[in-house]
Amino acid sequence: MANATAFEGPVYPVNPSGSGELFGSEFVPSVTDIDGPVDLALCCVPGPAMPEVVAECGAAGIGAAVIYASGFAEAGDEGAALQDAVVEAAADHDVSLLGPNTSGFLVPATDLRCSFASGVGEVPAGNTAVVAQSGGVAHVLAFQSRRQRRGVSAMVGLGNRANVGFAEAIEYFDGDDRTDSIVLHVEGTDDGRRLLEACRESDTPVIAYKAGRSDVGDFAESHTGALTGDHELYTAGFAQYGVPTVDATDDLLDAAAALGNSPPPAGPDVGVVTAQAGPGIIITDRIQRAGGRLPDLTAETRARIDGILPGITYDDHPADTGLPMPEFGAVVTAVAEDDRIDVVLVYELFEAALGLPVDDLEGLAERVGKPVLFATEGIDEEVDADRDALEAAGVPTFETPERAADAAGVLARYARLHADDPATPTTDGGRVPSGAARVQEGRSDE
Amino acid sequence: MSEPDPVAAARADGRTTLTEAEGKRLLASAGVGTTTFRVCADADAAVDAAAAVGFPVVAKVSSPAVTHKSDWADGAGVVVGLDSPGAVREAAERILDAAAERGIPAAVLIEEAVPLDRGTEVIVGGVRDPSFGPVVLTGLGGVFTEIFEDTSHRIAPIDRAEARSAIEDLRAAPLLRGARGRDPADVDALAAAVVAVGDLVTDHPIAELDVNPLLATPDGVVALDALVVLEDA
Repeated sequence: MANATAFEGPVYPVNPSGSGELFGSEFVPSVTDIDGPVDLALCCVPGPAMPEVVAECGAAGIGAAVIYASGFAEAGDEGAALQDAVVEAAADHDVSLLGPNTSGFLVPATDLRCSFASGVGEVPAGNTAVVAQSGGVAHVLAFQSRRQRRGVSAMVGLGNRANVGFAEAIEYFDGDDRTDSIVLHVEGTDDGRRLLEACRESDTPVIAYKAGRSDVGDFAESHTGALTGDHELYTAGFAQYGVPTVDATDDLLDAAAALGNSPPPAGPDVGVVTAQAGPGIIITDRIQRAGGRLPDLTAETRARIDGILPGITYDDHPADTGLPMPEFGAVVTAVAEDDRIDVVLVYELFEAALGLPVDDLEGLAERVGKPVLFATEGIDEEVDADRDALEAAGVPTFETPERAADAAGVLARYARLHADDPATPTTDGGRVPSGAARVQEGRSDE
Repeated sequence: MSEPDPVAAARADGRTTLTEAEGKRLLASAGVGTTTFRVCADADAAVDAAAAVGFPVVAKVSSPAVTHKSDWADGAGVVVGLDSPGAVREAAERILDAAAERGIPAAVLIEEAVPLDRGTEVIVGGVRDPSFGPVVLTGLGGVFTEIFEDTSHRIAPIDRAEARSAIEDLRAAPLLRGARGRDPADVDALAAAVVAVGDLVTDHPIAELDVNPLLATPDGVVALDALVVLEDA
């Protein structure tokens, strides 16, 4: 309630036996007694009361409710029957339910903070929608996003998914203007195919983390059923339906930052520019394992770099300037403009005398139509301002060489998974069918 | 004339497990190549069938009651390399005697022997997953299946390109492309078989379908075995 009162609209505490005030608002005996329209009910009542509460909410014209209580389908037959009763009441009155057994959701941009966890008031607004099966993992991601200075467009813990599940959440956030990428934490769902279809339908990039790798079949038997583990099916299914998968919560947010703040990658070829050899070596090694390729730069690009910095440390791939220098941004630009390169990844230790090459990289990604990722290191007090400026200039930033390489790997995999898409990217990040162009090409051949 | 629908035949018998012969007919109806075979009621018919199919042949127990043929009756269930009428008669009689001892209905399946060194053994399977529905599996087959677990999965149905990508996902893909001077396998035919198995599981009430091994040769694929389990009616 303390979190919810930050919301700019009216918030009514409802309690039939309550009197007086809660956080400055008068108790109302029932939702049906509230004057004025209500969009959402936050239900902090014991589970057995929920069917009646949902029915009352529906009668009062409230279209959505969060059920925080546990003791439903996750807790045996009796709980499952209770959940069925809640779903039935919701269906009768057309109420969308979040939960039961959830810690809620956040929309930081509107200060809609419907979680009882402490600290959620400080989660900043960003452009990644976090959709987690577990409320706990939802909060893990939300708080990480704050430490990473990225924030979230929304954080949702789905809980038991009584009538709002992954598919509904993906469809919703695909249509949400504040959301440019959607990350999923999945433990398991009884309608995996519907989840995958929602992912395929989404124009907004989706990245997934399927927890529980050890849940596999008995490989002592060599038949198809025994060879088909849950994790394998999710991983294969996500890939088939255009969703790259990762194996850690921080990887999810890194991948979302890369995909949600960049033009769609056209292919898996990564161009690496580094100011220090060692991090560059880590990156080039890791990118290939993560699914990216490292093509040779064109002769034109090599000549161009040699012109910028005669005798550069190593003007093949990765382009390594040896140390931060004023010309670093021009080298990045040369690699970004190389036709063989689909994704640019830059590493540079922060040098206070030079700063990061914000001016050179301003709008570069948009202009060349390729993601440009940047990893740096230094003391936060000095680096943060430039890092924020790079983010604002359309360049997602990363904390370590490994995480930047892994994010580039996700971009490469995403490009491969979407190589056959019947759509071409547009500058606003949306997609338009390219069929018309293809038909015209076909006609010109006749 | 045309074979009876193997699925309908099993259903009519109240069975959920198809015999190998029924499974292969089902595969053949979907365009997947199988060995030439005959199902024989007695040893005389088996000898005639062997002559018709051409020596050498393989003799297998054919019974809905036996799904793991090679483990059955101390190895009587599958006998390979039969190159004479006498050898065929002996193998057939052993199968029928073992079945009689166990009180199960059985016939003898006589099929052409296909040399395994003509290609690469793969497994192509289908399963109906409770969450994802029809799924098709591609993997390295034969005895390597359980040792290497080299498999890839797709949600079915899929098209030929997706089937090719499932094959390419295998660590064993270079074997199929003709590593170390081997003749490359007909990967198009293999992809077509993967598509067909995905379609079969999608279109019929099949709980699980195993083609292991499917021999991928330079001139097509041959299903050497087939196990089909239907969903409960």
